[in-house]
Amino acid sequence: MKLAGNDILIQSLINEGVEYVFGYPGGAALHIYDAIFNQNELEHILVRHEQGATHAADGYARATGKPGVVLVTSGPGATNAITGIATAFMDSIPMVVLSGQVASHLIGTDAFQETDMIGISRPIVKHSFTIESAKKIPQVIKEAFYIATSGRPGPVVIDIPKDTTAPDKLFDFKPLDSVEIRSYNPPIEPDPKQIERAIEAILKAKKPVIYAGGGAINSNASKELFELNKLLNFPVTNTLMGLGVYPAKEDRFMGMLGMHGTYQSNMAMHNADLIIAIGARFDDRITNTPDLFAPNAKIIHFDVDHSSVSKIIEANIAVFGQVKNSLIELIKQLKAKNDLIDENLIKPWLEEIDKWTELHGLNHELYKENSDKNMILPQAVVQHVYNITEGKAFVTSDVGQHQMFAAQYYHFDKPRYWINSGGLGTMGFGLPAAMGVKLAFPEEEVVCITGEGSIQMCIQELSTCTQYNLPVKIININNEALGMVKQWQDMNYGGRHSESTYKSSLPNFVELVESYGHVGFKIEKNSELKTTLEKAFSIKDKLVFVDIYVDPGEHVYPMLVAPNGSLKDMWLSKDKKV
Amino acid sequence: MMQREILVILENKPGALARIVGLFHQRGYNIESLHVDPVTDIENYKDIEVLLNLKLKENEVSKLLITTTVSDNLLRQILRQINKLIDVLIAKEEI
Ligand SMILES: Cc1ncc(C[n+]2csc(CCOP(=O)(O)OP(=O)(O)O)c2C)c(N)n1
Ligand SMILES: [Mg+2]
Repeated sequence: MKLAGNDILIQSLINEGVEYVFGYPGGAALHIYDAIFNQNELEHILVRHEQGATHAADGYARATGKPGVVLVTSGPGATNAITGIATAFMDSIPMVVLSGQVASHLIGTDAFQETDMIGISRPIVKHSFTIESAKKIPQVIKEAFYIATSGRPGPVVIDIPKDTTAPDKLFDFKPLDSVEIRSYNPPIEPDPKQIERAIEAILKAKKPVIYAGGGAINSNASKELFELNKLLNFPVTNTLMGLGVYPAKEDRFMGMLGMHGTYQSNMAMHNADLIIAIGARFDDRITNTPDLFAPNAKIIHFDVDHSSVSKIIEANIAVFGQVKNSLIELIKQLKAKNDLIDENLIKPWLEEIDKWTELHGLNHELYKENSDKNMILPQAVVQHVYNITEGKAFVTSDVGQHQMFAAQYYHFDKPRYWINSGGLGTMGFGLPAAMGVKLAFPEEEVVCITGEGSIQMCIQELSTCTQYNLPVKIININNEALGMVKQWQDMNYGGRHSESTYKSSLPNFVELVESYGHVGFKIEKNSELKTTLEKAFSIKDKLVFVDIYVDPGEHVYPMLVAPNGSLKDMWLSKDKKV
Repeated sequence: MMQREILVILENKPGALARIVGLFHQRGYNIESLHVDPVTDIENYKDIEVLLNLKLKENEVSKLLITTTVSDNLLRQILRQINKLIDVLIAKEEI
């Protein structure tokens, strides 16, 4: 079959199973856009800003496990995509970004809309390619998807000089079935000897903790993790990125750990004698001061990425491989030694953890407040949303206090339902990510829990939601401030709120969303909270934006004491420190 | 802290060198000297061929020698970071 470069490109994407391309056109990408026009197998979603395209593709990828695909033009189109690429990179999300580029003969001449996209994106991609000729397109696309989705996943950029997609030059097109890259061989199966060593430590542990993160979700290892813990009955904590990989409803689940983790999770980690890290990378929001981290713990670290192990906290036993495969091997070997598991060994430890939970665990019944004498608590908003959606919604979020409240009070029983920018902490992520999720799962409830600061960073995507009829719910936890910034200023800067409030300049969100054709509600009183939220969620065919005015003085607790604190050093309220 | 020499064998592809140099900068490691050559003397790389279980061809890969002053732990981390780059066949300490 003879095809032009632009058609070869689109055909190659279709062969990868791509359903949606999120993008925005411009000069250098117009040949490609013409090829999109001439087919009907994949759908292009026209966003309102390239950052929105990357976050939408990212949300799609997190929810489905399939790579998200982005198409942007050269110059400003490409640079606008950078924040979203960095977001995906920090959270190891599979993504393929196609960026138009000026024609080959113009590269290096400062041509109109020329930027060195490969150079600009280099530190925030897993890999990148420049297409040298149309003939190479099938190979590059195949390699890009393979790299983006295998090993530790991540974004791959493909820069496409305009001449390589010219419609007037035809080439033989032969689809490729698979590729091999001799210099890239991510580990899959674990070394059984390392598993043996891990089991030895596991059988001896008196104070074990399973600490599972986003890597376990990427590896689709939640079933294995669950099965493993049916054998072990160890306490489990999840990172912000790992929420849902172990069911929150299980007795052994202690909640999130780290900066705003639960008291019992942080105490358990600090006092553990064995930490089993599964697809988690000991970042600084988890360890607090690394030198003071879990002083008595042996560390077993399961990961696919060599460079993540012993980077911050030295691992005693490292198991390299796809986390899923490693857990399968671990379960297999453990079952053979089943009679050596002594349940009584960890009994006092489980009792100690229960005491911590009782002492300073989170209050999950704040939603019961309905007096209008008090302002609405942001935590109660999340609890109502959880109750109304019966814990079954996909929840995307932005960055700030609202994000932490969502993570603390919405309980996730399944992986890929909690979708947030953990590593980069990108405000503006929530709404476009929700669009990507809704496209992937049109029948499911998709809720974006956001703040009035974050939502305004990609609010233009309300228009995209109108065009493609994406009836997501937006819960705007409105504290009329950059709340998380303000909290730090309260705690560390003598309450000086430097540039963290807006002085009555917020828009009327209800009127704003109505101008896009959506539905808006405003809630200011506790007595209206439940009924208005129920009304909002009863609307199925329209995007609903609920603007909820909450107590602006509320802080997120627990909060680790930093700098120089350990995991046991926490603020539990404005005046209580342990 | 000790001065070390790192040997990297990487595919002779556009951008491959920039990724390694960029990685040093990005992770805060210092490059003291850097030497790059296309590999033409294949017969001197038999050990690497065995290690990686592949056959090299003339001018298909490049050899990079980098000197840097780092601790043992940091050296291990640098090598893992370089080995993670897609175009790198192998990075190891040259002793
Ligand atoms: C793009 C970007 N800029 C700045 C920040 C720093 N930052 C973190 S949280 C926050 C405040 C967010 O305000 P809002 O969305 O209203 O959430 P709240 O904390 O009030 O719930 C800011 C400015 C960020 N994370 N991302
Ligand atoms: Mg706010």
